Amino acid sequence: MKVTFKIWRQENKSSKGNFESYDVEGLTEDMSFLEALDHLNELLVAQNQKVIAFEYDCREGICGQCGVFINGRAHGPHDHMTTCQLHMRSFKDGETIVVEPWRATAFPVIKDLVVDRSALDNIIEKGGYISAKTGTAAEANAILIAKNVADRAMDAAACIGCGACVASCKNSSAALFTAAKINHLSSLPQGKHEATQRVLQMTRQMELEGFGSCTFTGACEVECPEGISLTNIAEMNARRAKAKWLG
Amino acid sequence: MLDAKIPEGSLENKWRNYQLKAQLINPANKKKLNVIVVGSGLAGAGAAATLAELGYDVKCFCYQDSARRAHSVAAQGGINAAKNYQHDGDSVWRMFYDTLKGGDFRSREANVFRLAELSAPLIDHYVQQGVPFAREYGGVLVNRSFGGVQVQRTFYARGQTGQQLLLAAYSQLYKMKRAKKVEMFPRHEMLDIVVIDGKAKGIIARDLVTGQLKRFAADAVVLATGGYSRVFRLSTLAIGCNGSAIWKAHKRGAYFAAPSFTQIHPTALPQTSEAQSKLTLMSESLRNDGRIWVPKKKEESRKANEIPEEDRDYYLERRYPSFGNLAPRDIASRAAKELIDAGFGVGRLKNAVYLDFKHAIEHFGLETIKDRYGNLFKMYKKITGVDAYKEPMQISPAAHFSMGGLWVDYELMTTIPGLYAIGECNFSDHGANRLGANSLLQASIDGYFVLPNTINNYLASALKEDHPTTDHPEFEKVEKEVTEQISRLLAVNGNKTVDHFHRELGKVMWQECAMSRNKEGLEKAIVQIEEIKEAFWNEVNVTGGHLEMNTELEKALRLADFIELGLLMCNDALQREESCGAHFREEYQTNEGEALRNDDTYSYVSAWEYYQGDFKLHREALTFEYVQPTVRSYK
Amino acid sequence: MFFRKSIIALTGLFLCIFLIVHLSANSILLLPEETARGLYNSYSTTLRESPLIKIVAYVLYLSIILHVVYALLITLNNRRAKSKAYAVNRNKENSSWTSQNMGLLGIMILLFIVVHLANFWARIKLGMGEGVGLDANGHVDVYEVTYSLFQNMYYVGFYSLLMIPLGLHLHHGLKSAFMTLGFYHKKGLKFLAKAALVYAAIMAIGFGIIPLIVFLK
Repeated sequence: MKVTFKIWRQENKSSKGNFESYDVEGLTEDMSFLEALDHLNELLVAQNQKVIAFEYDCREGICGQCGVFINGRAHGPHDHMTTCQLHMRSFKDGETIVVEPWRATAFPVIKDLVVDRSALDNIIEKGGYISAKTGTAAEANAILIAKNVADRAMDAAACIGCGACVASCKNSSAALFTAAKINHLSSLPQGKHEATQRVLQMTRQMELEGFGSCTFTGACEVECPEGISLTNIAEMNARRAKAKWLG
Repeated sequence: MLDAKIPEGSLENKWRNYQLKAQLINPANKKKLNVIVVGSGLAGAGAAATLAELGYDVKCFCYQDSARRAHSVAAQGGINAAKNYQHDGDSVWRMFYDTLKGGDFRSREANVFRLAELSAPLIDHYVQQGVPFAREYGGVLVNRSFGGVQVQRTFYARGQTGQQLLLAAYSQLYKMKRAKKVEMFPRHEMLDIVVIDGKAKGIIARDLVTGQLKRFAADAVVLATGGYSRVFRLSTLAIGCNGSAIWKAHKRGAYFAAPSFTQIHPTALPQTSEAQSKLTLMSESLRNDGRIWVPKKKEESRKANEIPEEDRDYYLERRYPSFGNLAPRDIASRAAKELIDAGFGVGRLKNAVYLDFKHAIEHFGLETIKDRYGNLFKMYKKITGVDAYKEPMQISPAAHFSMGGLWVDYELMTTIPGLYAIGECNFSDHGANRLGANSLLQASIDGYFVLPNTINNYLASALKEDHPTTDHPEFEKVEKEVTEQISRLLAVNGNKTVDHFHRELGKVMWQECAMSRNKEGLEKAIVQIEEIKEAFWNEVNVTGGHLEMNTELEKALRLADFIELGLLMCNDALQREESCGAHFREEYQTNEGEALRNDDTYSYVSAWEYYQGDFKLHREALTFEYVQPTVRSYK
Repeated sequence: MFFRKSIIALTGLFLCIFLIVHLSANSILLLPEETARGLYNSYSTTLRESPLIKIVAYVLYLSIILHVVYALLITLNNRRAKSKAYAVNRNKENSSWTSQNMGLLGIMILLFIVVHLANFWARIKLGMGEGVGLDANGHVDVYEVTYSLFQNMYYVGFYSLLMIPLGLHLHHGLKSAFMTLGFYHKKGLKFLAKAALVYAAIMAIGFGIIPLIVFLK
């Protein structure tokens, strides 16, 4: 099959950037979207041009490193999917595919389609952990956790940190990301001791990083590869209010 | 003969005895010591966080944009631990024995025992860190069975165990970053190691955003850089996984052990095009209910569902009646390869076999199968677009785990003093074959429990020496060598892409040095790889410059090392004239076509020294004091 | 931002309650003219003269102002958070148009409120424009003001059509307000989604249909 890629090219953080169009032939429907970009890069090398910088690593939907805005959607046209899981069969022969980097002030473009998501790490650093030094843990089954509590924690913990929630949010809010981590840890008995500080400091950091606020459009939940529920944000708000007013 | 410095005492007491005798460093002195950790997976993040907690100053490097993306994240199945929660007769001893036997008796008793011994406290640790392991209704932890072991000792968090463990390690790492005990260097790739007066004293890393080369000095260097199965190009590994760090260490004096021991996983999705970059793993659990078959006729053109029973060859059931579709990984992979090579493969590229749930659905009903494997079927559909409830899956073997790696002693130190290798990048506990759910375990144990208890034994002496600085002429020299290599690559200006050569290398390695090997093929492969190396350095085209983000240059640097590593793997496979575990030499098999081990001659760990551009073999003898090596049979 | 968001949510919920009271009063207009005029005028007189209602009225003004000002501040901040708009954005596939355009809907409602206040509040309370007479009971004849306004088909169109953005704004706003304030009960939220739809529909249709009926009377 043949498609036209319209791809954002930007030399580095400070340069301006613009779209470039590339007609690519010889693709097959079985190719993944990223393999089609690989293929395009090989064509560029053959023409002695610089390759397009884009991100990926595991290519099986779990590392969270890949992620671009494809034809107006984070990770492409399907719900709950990563870019690496997208295949060319999702596009029509001859289609023009517009590829843009994640857009958010907190995610500056480094080059072409690559953005800097370290803001997410900075949020985690402010409390996305349970303080327990190696070697200090008690016997595992000494902490009983009901199945539904563990399951709910796992639902939230499934976040892969790809940033699609931020990218698809009109406010570039990182509320879903932050909420998922807070709820994962604070709903478990091990994580309760630091719950107050955790929610206050992580939400504070989220604002300092320049993310917008949540207006519950629900786009994040649909674009989230793990389908993490929007209600997590409401739960975070409740935890925050409790921490703020009741301590 | 190499000395692994196994502590004295009975098997049960070795680790205790070691700890009793190891040198300690007082807290005031620890903060004067710097440690570099390269890699941020379970081993790297665990080690970096724990060393920081102990008081060392730690610098942690990863090539990804965040430590949370290290490839430990992708492990699905679970992590083993001898907790005996299921009251089914499990024990440290049994786990030790299973692992040693699973590795076909090509690993060290003392190491494996320590692995089993420390597995239980590891689960305690992860639970405390907030890992949402699966639970019973009453709140206790659940276990499942895995990888043909007779007890249930695998802990899991849905199909995302690796992710959950890694997120725990990553969170602990960032807690220590906040405490200013860890400095993080994401998007930095180690390109060489600096050895001063025979001791590892630092690294040269490339900032992948700006392209600058940077020098980092430390009192000890820890490599936790994972597996190198991307040498086959198509593998279940992340695209960025590479062998460069350990290869550079090897070239600077670290011995490389058993490089040819690589595990081929039988249930991955097949390659569908030449452009394919990755083979996705499908959980092994599918083989519990799925039946594997190929058509009996080579030129079969009918669709799978139209092929009647009498024209199907359920070859695993036919050849291994007692284990059937549940034959171990190496056996199942090899059988598939034989049939595919003989022309019985299915799919567009004739490179797959069918994994069929038709009978299981008839027998248990659609709902039961959905309940058991629903998420896997969904994933299969996402990737292939095919509904596997209606037609059989197509699966194919894929390169997976590398048991081989830098040779390390009991302390996990390589043959370069002050250089440690932990996790998948070392050769220690898995022997010639790794058991399912043991890789997360080994990486974690190395990082959290072993290294933080052994590194002090070395650092205590480093305390008395001068701290290295990056002004040392050796840093200058190594950086210059790295710069030269980069310049050479950029100057080739040929007409072929890096991926072209990676595909060529992958083809040779897959054909001759994967599931089944023979002398002639390996010798041929060595010649072919030499040719690929020659062509690569003369015909590759790497566009863009080095002082910018340049993903093509990153790939080229990694491939240059893979090519050389591939050569060593073939040499290693060639010297081991026996079949054991994942290493199957066609010349050494029983009449029934099973692996024929030779304990008299090959009960050793091969450890290769890089010697004036060539490889020199050293041996570490494996002695079995506590168990008697036996023959594995699955008939 | 969390504080500001909470204020928007709380004032929004207060305004939602106010609308219920407002609509029930408006429904008097649906009665036959002779009953309606007396009832409507005495009701509005009672409201104007009650000291309690005076306080509520100030809370109401304050709510509208806070709701608007904080929404503006939040919106500006959210704009800053987005570095650049996407060249192609198919956000309709992942979220409702309403949720993406609360600001636009809000501005339309604000426009409505301004006109609405000019039509009634300014005339009756501030005595601006044409004077208002008294009815048979000596009450200010608000009914007449309403009735004559809705003889003008342009006003009827304006009052009725702008209830569409009101309904949309309420539908998303009500759900969003609860979640902003930390209501996350799964079943409760499902119920809330239905309740918000019913509430928004009643408000939009109720407010929207009365001018029409008055016009057609």
